[in-house]
Amino acid sequence: MELTGEQSIAATCEQVWAGINDVEILMRCIPGCEDIRRISPEETHLRVAVKIGPVRARFAGKLRMSEIREPESFTMSFEGAGGAAGFAKGSSAVTLEPDGQGTRLRYSVSASVGGKLGQIGGRLIDASAQKMADQFFLEFKRAMSGEAPGGGTTSQEGASPTVATKSSATTAQAGLQAPSTSELPGQHWGPAAGHPTSAQTFGGSFRGELQRAFWFVLGVGSTLLTIYMSR
Amino acid sequence: MKAPAFDYIKARSLDHVFTLLAEHGDEARLLAGGQTLLATLNMRLSEPALLIDINGLENLAGITLQADCLRIGALARHHDIEVSELVARHAPLLSLAAPHVAHRAIRNLGTLGGSLAFADPAAEWPCCAVALDATLVLQSQRGERRVPAGDFFLDLYNTDLRDDELISACEFPLPTAGQRVVFDELARRHGDYAIVGLAIRATLVDTVVHDVRLVFLGTGNIPMRARAAEQALEGRTPDAATIAQAQAQLADELRAQADIYHSATTKLQLACVLLRRLLARLAQPA
Repeated sequence: MELTGEQSIAATCEQVWAGINDVEILMRCIPGCEDIRRISPEETHLRVAVKIGPVRARFAGKLRMSEIREPESFTMSFEGAGGAAGFAKGSSAVTLEPDGQGTRLRYSVSASVGGKLGQIGGRLIDASAQKMADQFFLEFKRAMSGEAPGGGTTSQEGASPTVATKSSATTAQAGLQAPSTSELPGQHWGPAAGHPTSAQTFGGSFRGELQRAFWFVLGVGSTLLTIYMSR
Repeated sequence: MKAPAFDYIKARSLDHVFTLLAEHGDEARLLAGGQTLLATLNMRLSEPALLIDINGLENLAGITLQADCLRIGALARHHDIEVSELVARHAPLLSLAAPHVAHRAIRNLGTLGGSLAFADPAAEWPCCAVALDATLVLQSQRGERRVPAGDFFLDLYNTDLRDDELISACEFPLPTAGQRVVFDELARRHGDYAIVGLAIRATLVDTVVHDVRLVFLGTGNIPMRARAAEQALEGRTPDAATIAQAQAQLADELRAQADIYHSATTKLQLACVLLRRLLARLAQPA
């Protein structure tokens, strides 16, 4: 399957690049994305619930970036497995170029789908892929244009904890690597980013921190109690 | 393969269906003929927690002639439509299309409502419903809602049907004097999904066609009306020159989507062939 297209986005190349590298934004824009984790600067793992017509399958997938030339172009290879439903793999070449005030994003995708999904869905895979690509870019443009004009100081604070939470959730090794790259987009993103969504992001990750703090306090409390009781 | 485990409830009434839908939401699926749903379950392409069997509901069944329309219940099987005298007389396009719906075994169980709700881009009933300006009757706890077929199909597998609604019937307007209909489709094997199909409805006065409606299936994500080609035919005798003009319009407006088996060019070519064949058939004396 081959798919090509282009989109003009009302944000600078740097902002668009940062957006593409921001897992929070990706999670919001990828249709049916339930979970996304940056494993390393190049690799991202995600879980997507595909819901097209009678098909409702969950895919666990990997994205790997290569040939990165910030902020102009990159190649992304992906593979996903959906259990009995089948698998999908392929690659996508993306280029960004300035277009007046905004950015022109061109993409070409080549992918193959196998398993049950490929056998019975072959007829409609192109149309389904196009639909998902359209949904993604619609959301992505909304995210970029909605947040590009505003400017808030809270968002910068908002961006960093998000990154911290994500990386701490992954392995220690990834934790070491992740901030170095993720902070770059974070900084790009920060000053330009606006209020509502990043505030939510901030709230969301902060809630996560609170929860962790709660369990920590509970742990310390129960340990102290045990020590006290055993005396 | 076998389906994953699911619960099954045979609905006693429409209200029972609505209660179950409200309770289970997206985890529940309505089971009518099951010719698509059960196949996807067996392939494990979807895993609903509950199937609500609506087959026993009397008020969703039957084909009745009403004052201004032919009302076909959502549970009418494809086969019921194929052999119905009422349909042959009052909605002959459906009689022409019915033999093309999959295979006999599937026609014996599959339902009109199921096909409309599922909205496969290559399905016959959505195409016919748009060609005939049918009205879909949707019911929910909030009451009844009527949607013209032209507004019902939104995008690939996406319709105006809401989560808490079901299709209870489809109403086809009775044909006007002089109205002619033709239907045909091209498929790799008979009974397979069509590559391209076409339904034409027009009023014929001598050799001149009026009020032309061309609706293609299989070319896009939903039944596609070819409005520019309709305009090219309107008020004319469909001779070779007129047909060539209409075909030229198709090239511009159809924007057929390629799939892994057929290129966009192939689909356009097939659409043009169908248009020529069906216009010739339309002009033949009844």
